Amino acid sequence: MKLNTRINGKDFSLEIKPNAMLVDVLRQAGFKGVKFGCGEGSCGACAVMINGKPRNSCITVAGSVEGAEILTVEGMGTPGKPHILQQAFVDAGSTQCGYCNPGSLIAAKALLDSNPNPTADDVKDALDGNLCRCTGYVKRIDAVLNAAEAAKKTKKSTRGKK
Amino acid sequence: MLKKLTRFYHPKTIEEACLFLGNAEHKTAILAGGTSEVLRQDNSIEALVDISNVKELNCIGKDSVYYRIGAGTPIQDIYKSKLLSGPSGDLLKTAAGKIGSTLLRNSITAGGNLAGLFPWSDMPVVYLALDAEVVCRKGKPKRTVPVQNVIEKRPAQFLASAEIIAEIALPIYSKGTGTSFAKFAKTANDYAMITLATRISLKGGKIDQARIAVNAITASPVRCLEAEKLLVGQKPTDELIAAAAAKAADSISIRKDFRASREYRKEVFEVMVRRALTESLEKAGK
Repeated sequence: MKLNTRINGKDFSLEIKPNAMLVDVLRQAGFKGVKFGCGEGSCGACAVMINGKPRNSCITVAGSVEGAEILTVEGMGTPGKPHILQQAFVDAGSTQCGYCNPGSLIAAKALLDSNPNPTADDVKDALDGNLCRCTGYVKRIDAVLNAAEAAKKTKKSTRGKK
Repeated sequence: MLKKLTRFYHPKTIEEACLFLGNAEHKTAILAGGTSEVLRQDNSIEALVDISNVKELNCIGKDSVYYRIGAGTPIQDIYKSKLLSGPSGDLLKTAAGKIGSTLLRNSITAGGNLAGLFPWSDMPVVYLALDAEVVCRKGKPKRTVPVQNVIEKRPAQFLASAEIIAEIALPIYSKGTGTSFAKFAKTANDYAMITLATRISLKGGKIDQARIAVNAITASPVRCLEAEKLLVGQKPTDELIAAAAAKAADSISIRKDFRASREYRKEVFEVMVRRALTESLEKAGK
């Protein structure tokens, strides 16, 4: 079966099994940043943005994203030019084994996209589906709040240049 | 899972969706967020009708009497809705916010949570407590039925072939009504052991309507009718509420699994009902 979808701003036409799950399809297409964790929608390691909404790709049937716009962590930034959230995660030390980070970053991006001024409670609420067994859930809250601040500053400075 | 699946349909309208569902050539099933399809592991399905692109199914609206929620609306949109308010809106939003996680709420839909009807489904108790009506569509023809009927017959049996749940209509209650939602689970993400919604509507200082709707502790969503009857027409007192809570706990047949015993659940349930009714009353009196 053919699946036509847009991943990180590029059009793809993938040959898939009809009963394939999105997480497997994305990883086979080379997007290894999408992690397979629990496989039952509990841990959030596999989170990707589907049409702007973060969802668990391990319980999403791949055929249902026909024509959809998908964003994985690879689409957020690169090692040379990290996304503001990725940099904030590094700076706050919100990364140890790193397995949850791709999913957490996607969920955090979804929050900042809809709410540029989040409170700590907003961050907790938005990341409630992303388990992290290393960092203890405090540092990533700092990271997202710092990223929100940093994003506001960059906006101001670019506006100033204009 | 879904071993026989060969193709997907992506309808843009309800009529188209019903047409695909009614195709007798192969066994079809409807797909919204997909969470229950994954759980069900049905290997006989040959085609999935994906309704996520049907715009008329994905909306939250309001008229003078009802909030109208499209069956394909993600629970997260209900949780974050600015339109929903008052006793009905509060109950909807509180319950929606306590379902799974942000990632799951973006997949789980208002109609799917009812149509799937698992013992741990949270929204059906809210629909029961609010006396919701369900709009079913089979192409153009539609029928509007009380949610109670859909649940009693089980949605899969209630719906005719090629018929879908299109909308949940929830009466807008105003002053004099209070609602409450409570859930008991091991973690925020685990299946509920008890999910409970209550509504009290007061008239002239007496209880005019009472709803105690529960799921997860039971195999299917039910109302505690005897306990409700005990409340109606009475002046609300602490003793009355305690009696109603005890009656509610006695009237249901309790499910158990490895998470907790029947005895334990029963004890927790009685306390939850008492607190939920008290909260509903407080809000109704404001």
